[in-house]
Amino acid sequence: MLQPLTIVLLVGCLALGLLAAHHLLRRRLVDDPLILVGAALEVALLVQLVVGLAKSGAIANGAERATFIAYLFTVLLVVPASVVIAVKEKTQWAMAVVLGGAFVVAILVARLQQVWSLNV
Amino acid sequence: MSETTPTTPTPDQSAAADAERPHTGHGFGRVLVAVYGLLALAATGRSILQITEYFDRAPVPFLLSAVAALIYLVATYGLARGDRTSVRLATIALTIELAGVLVVGTWSVVDPAAFPEKTVWSHFGAGYGYVPLLLPIVGLWWIRRTARATAAADEAAPRR
Repeated sequence: MLQPLTIVLLVGCLALGLLAAHHLLRRRLVDDPLILVGAALEVALLVQLVVGLAKSGAIANGAERATFIAYLFTVLLVVPASVVIAVKEKTQWAMAVVLGGAFVVAILVARLQQVWSLNV
Repeated sequence: MSETTPTTPTPDQSAAADAERPHTGHGFGRVLVAVYGLLALAATGRSILQITEYFDRAPVPFLLSAVAALIYLVATYGLARGDRTSVRLATIALTIELAGVLVVGTWSVVDPAAFPEKTVWSHFGAGYGYVPLLLPIVGLWWIRRTARATAAADEAAPRR
């Protein structure tokens, strides 16, 4: 898709993952910086949704286009869901969930790029 | 988060005890719930797509994807709720899941022609980094561990 956007998203995932790892090691729970980084990543994912939907017509195969659009929406759920789960947990496992969530977002973003490049 | 408080313990012990009370959806359980939720989402999405877009191509794997999706939903819900009935439900779901991934995994290796399309369980979940194979094992271990911890806690404080 848009390569610069994908790179920004992967950097965002890395930032959230590093922050979560830092908090995990320091035994900290969800705090404002973590929420802000998560929110920034989510905004970038929303930008990806808009750009992706606008460009999705370029994928000729209907099933592949449906997959692409499904990924665009699915990836939006991961950050909010992990943060909500993490807020409720008062042990280090909270940060493990956020760390895992950041990893999953990175995989989904890479997968989106893959579906795009294989079909356009 | 306010489920399962059958008796009303005295205020001073209730807050501390509740925080420590073993629960399938707390601590490491949050990770399990998150992973199961994700797999439920992935399997549901995949099965909807497969069944609506190209069901004729391979009905068996596609129906299996749908069954897997349902089981993951039940497991997520059961582990997250964590009361006695929910945990029992989750145990059943995880047992079926383990049996399913073993049977379908073996079947797909022995007779690859039956699985022209990937499912979450074919080839023991290789397409998902073998997470579908490991997850029910880890999940059943966790349920067992939580049950033991609960039993130990009840023994220590039988009046709760």
